[in-house]
Amino acid sequence: MHIRNFSIIAHIDHGKSTLADRLLTSTNAVSEREAREQMLDSMDLERERGITIKASAVTVTHHHVPGSKLDQLESDVEATPGEAPAPAPAKPKKGKPAYDPRSELYMLNFIDTPGHVDFSYEVSRALTACEGAILVVDSTQGVEAQTVANAFMAMENNLTLIPVVNKIDLPSADPDRVAMEIEQVLGLPAEDCIYVSAKSGIGIPELLAAICDRLPAPRQPEVSQTRALIFDSHYDDYRGVVIYIRVFDGRLRVGEKIRMMGTGRTFQVTELGKYTPKPMKVESLGPGETGYLVANIKTLKDVRVGDTITLDTDPAPKPLPGYKEPRQMVFCDFYPTSGSAAKGNDFEELREAITKLSLNDASFTFVPVHSEALGFGFRCGFLGLLHMDIIQERLEREGGVEIIQTAPTVTYELEKTDGEVLQITNPAELPDGSVWKELREPIVRLDIMTPKEFIGDIMAMCGNRRGIYKGQTVVSESRQILEYEIPLAEIIYDFFDKLKSITRGYGTMDYHLLGFKADRLAKVDILVNGDPVEALSLICHRDNAEYRGRQLLVRLREEIPRHQFEIPLQAAIGGKIIARETIKSMRKNVTAKCYGGDVSRKRKLLEKQKEGKKRMKAIGSVEIPQEAFMAVLDQGE
Amino acid sequence: MHQTTAITVGGQSRPATSEDGLSALSTPVRSLYAHVPFCFHKCHYCDFYSFVDSQDRQPAFTDALISEIRTLARHARRASPGSARPPLDTVFVGGGTPSLLRPDLWHRLLAALNEAFDLSAPGLEFTVECNPETVTPELIATLRAGGVNRVSMGAQSFNTTHLKTLERWHDPENVPRALEIAAAGGIPRRSIDLIFAIPGQSLTDWETDLARGLSLCTPAGRGIGRSGGLEGSGGVEHISCYALTYEPNTAMTRRLARGEFAAAPDDLEARMYERTVELCAERGFGRYEVSNFAQPGAESRHNLAYWRQQQWLAAGPSASAHVAGWRWKNVPRLTDWMQGVERSGGYAPAADVEPPDPRRALAERLMMGVRIAEGLPGHEILAAAESLGARDTLRREAERQERKGLLRVSGGRWTLTDRGFLFADGVAAELMSVLQR
Ligand SMILES: Nc1nc2c(ncn2[C@@H]2O[C@H](COP(=O)(O)OP(=O)(O)O)[C@@H](O)[C@H]2O)c(=O)[nH]1
Ligand code: SF4
Ligand SMILES: [Mg+2]
Repeated sequence: MHIRNFSIIAHIDHGKSTLADRLLTSTNAVSEREAREQMLDSMDLERERGITIKASAVTVTHHHVPGSKLDQLESDVEATPGEAPAPAPAKPKKGKPAYDPRSELYMLNFIDTPGHVDFSYEVSRALTACEGAILVVDSTQGVEAQTVANAFMAMENNLTLIPVVNKIDLPSADPDRVAMEIEQVLGLPAEDCIYVSAKSGIGIPELLAAICDRLPAPRQPEVSQTRALIFDSHYDDYRGVVIYIRVFDGRLRVGEKIRMMGTGRTFQVTELGKYTPKPMKVESLGPGETGYLVANIKTLKDVRVGDTITLDTDPAPKPLPGYKEPRQMVFCDFYPTSGSAAKGNDFEELREAITKLSLNDASFTFVPVHSEALGFGFRCGFLGLLHMDIIQERLEREGGVEIIQTAPTVTYELEKTDGEVLQITNPAELPDGSVWKELREPIVRLDIMTPKEFIGDIMAMCGNRRGIYKGQTVVSESRQILEYEIPLAEIIYDFFDKLKSITRGYGTMDYHLLGFKADRLAKVDILVNGDPVEALSLICHRDNAEYRGRQLLVRLREEIPRHQFEIPLQAAIGGKIIARETIKSMRKNVTAKCYGGDVSRKRKLLEKQKEGKKRMKAIGSVEIPQEAFMAVLDQGE
Repeated sequence: MHQTTAITVGGQSRPATSEDGLSALSTPVRSLYAHVPFCFHKCHYCDFYSFVDSQDRQPAFTDALISEIRTLARHARRASPGSARPPLDTVFVGGGTPSLLRPDLWHRLLAALNEAFDLSAPGLEFTVECNPETVTPELIATLRAGGVNRVSMGAQSFNTTHLKTLERWHDPENVPRALEIAAAGGIPRRSIDLIFAIPGQSLTDWETDLARGLSLCTPAGRGIGRSGGLEGSGGVEHISCYALTYEPNTAMTRRLARGEFAAAPDDLEARMYERTVELCAERGFGRYEVSNFAQPGAESRHNLAYWRQQQWLAAGPSASAHVAGWRWKNVPRLTDWMQGVERSGGYAPAADVEPPDPRRALAERLMMGVRIAEGLPGHEILAAAESLGARDTLRREAERQERKGLLRVSGGRWTLTDRGFLFADGVAAELMSVLQR
């Protein structure tokens, strides 16, 4: 049987998921009705056993006549019910034609990749497991920043690309223009593009034929020992860690003792299988194959995506190339919402939720912290901003905890006068300025794809944010890619939103880390009523410090409600005040009218007034609402 | 908007009515509130249940009100054995604009009321809210004959510009005129309402308004019940001064949201309030509640019953009652209320029903009681808190408020300081919070 391993890559919303679904229903003779039933099955399973089935790699079979440009869809061919996925041709039945007798059977493995730039490390791992990729571009939108980033990443991994122009059913589709953009920007010939509608199914037969014909077969084994690449993993309450692997050399069998070459840990394989998309157990996985592995592994910390699995009895001399630790780029603190120092149990709930989630996602880090303002919480590290949002949302939704999140910051590198280099993930940890030799910040390469008319505004914004212009690529007559080197700190919070608003939604961006660079950076402390509030402190460029400090104070003045006394707000660098604002004292808090008819309503209002206060943090005698801690995020322009 | 509350009895769920609370009545109740929902124009700040009646529903309304009053009296009689007609100490007819009810209907209503209740108690306080435009000698005579001895006149402002902002329709010159008619007709106790912190109103504007109101006062030393005053004979013994409140779902609030005007700044409003207290005191009007000022002995006993957490009966649409620890509100919609009362022989469909709950009761007691100058009886309050396991926390909270300079705790009564009056809600919220689970 022929094997093809491939990923689908796309800019967000260009139709990756829709196309994947369409390929599933078009192969394996899985009817739309059955596909729905299968979905239902797995949902029931999830409900009954409380397990999550995340199919990171799906295996389907497909009949293809080599050289043919247009394949029969399996769904148009009659299969014997109950036999799917049938590795052998099914008997012809009434109404539908049989398989073409010249056809050969292909095993297609789709490997899912996370769509967002935050997860580019994972994307690159997934791509390593493939020989090919389908690059989906929306025919109404054209090439976008993540299209380019993902395509280049696939090319770096020597993957064969099939460009697909999607959504051609839409009236505003302009597939020829988009095909030209693909040629212009990515160097993939326009005539190689396949025009499809993932929604209506147009072009899917051509696409399946191209997958079989254009994508290369898996490479031949290079060593006699077994080597399999871990490209993803997830935690399942029922079976523990489920690992997704691509076998490159040798074979894995149920019952064998495996060794992770990176961590040196060994495990006994209890289950091997493939998702079709129903889980289907197999006895072994051979070269070129993709599937999942269960080995009684208790926590995701024992598994590193990118690591090589070999056999304990006959280990390979060298792992598969290129393992890198995922690198956390963005940090922030999570505190339980009502976690005043007095209420320790909220913290315990948060700890439990975070610990549980970390079983599922090994790429975020957490260490306990204590802040005078916010009590006990955790300093967490993320791959990027989206990753941070996802984790916060999952904690709140799955863990049932309410979180207050502090402003995200990047990692800084501080070189001290004594030569020691510290990694600073929290402005509060910065030692006194007198021991600084050099404070360095992460710099990224930023690519912005935009319609031409917005270039001026974007350049102004990047300039304001210390971006260094590196170049410009013409995508089409109307669009260009701008290339910048820019401090990560300048783009982690609101940059994308601002870009969207400048470009009326048309601009897209992508970035990757280049390294660390020194600049004139300063730590700005914020004092509320004379007390420093470290959760509000920030690191920024010295030239921006007054502006950022003042900006923050103005926001705080809006967020902190008036008290019965006047509250001075100050921003300071090393004890020197650089900006100040004042919150005037509240003059009154009393309802004018309160009679017999108002009792119930008034009582509820007062109870709410007090409830609202619970969600504030007391700093000295000042109550600061949680929103104020987010004020530091607003950089203004 | 107001749904009746569903009540579950013996596993069966049914809409609640006033009977649920009234059946629990076991001790004498001495106050009655009745609501007349008619107005001839809707003021923009108003969130009372009131409307302009275009269908002459006054007679049907009066019939239903009488029917409800009779039912209330039946329950009150059971709780005060030995009296054929249960005695009341205070009656308050509010609205709406009760003075809009036609004299013949007033006549019937008052006759029924006197038949149902004993209104001969010494010191009876029987108040009717009046709109200055609608006061006539004929109306006053009818009221007087039925036992009414106090009128509360909605003056709001003497400045036509500010009245216009409020969409309050009356000629300010009619206020003294109406008061004189009331005085001449033998209504001995008179009060006016004023509003401050109206958009566009300056501190001086308010001082002028208030001075005009105070100039209507009964000369000091003349005592309650005497007529006379600086402007003719229609002096007042009581003034309510309310800071304009933007209630939800009022035209005023919508206009504010639309940016038609700006609300008075916090500091100005506070300053106006402080001046109110000073100016009233100069004229012998003491603050006995946050927004209420009276000559000595002229405090409204009916309103004090609310603030002291006493029981009262309620009749009419949207009227709320407090009986045997129950609180509820009659449904506001006139037709719903009338039909309910007719069908059940005098019981109103009830909304927002709250059965007795000692924790809620104490919270409300703190909230209401802290607003009055006489304050809260400390020992009684702490005893009530004791049974909820909150004695010490409540005492500590009260002491904390004392340290903040807002409350005086010593001397057995907890009373707000001058500064505390400006922060009465905050103090109440803090005291109440120790009761929250
Ligand atoms: N009209 C049309 N809509 C499509 C097509 N493919 C995807 N979409 C729609 O585009 C949106 C984004 O698709 P999705 O598959 O979720 O994109 P992804 O973010 O790349 O996974 C969805 O609303 C789809 O229904 C197509 O071929 N035609
Ligand atoms: S007169 Fe009174 S009840 Fe009637 S609308 Fe005006 S404020 Fe409301
Ligand atoms: Mg998707």
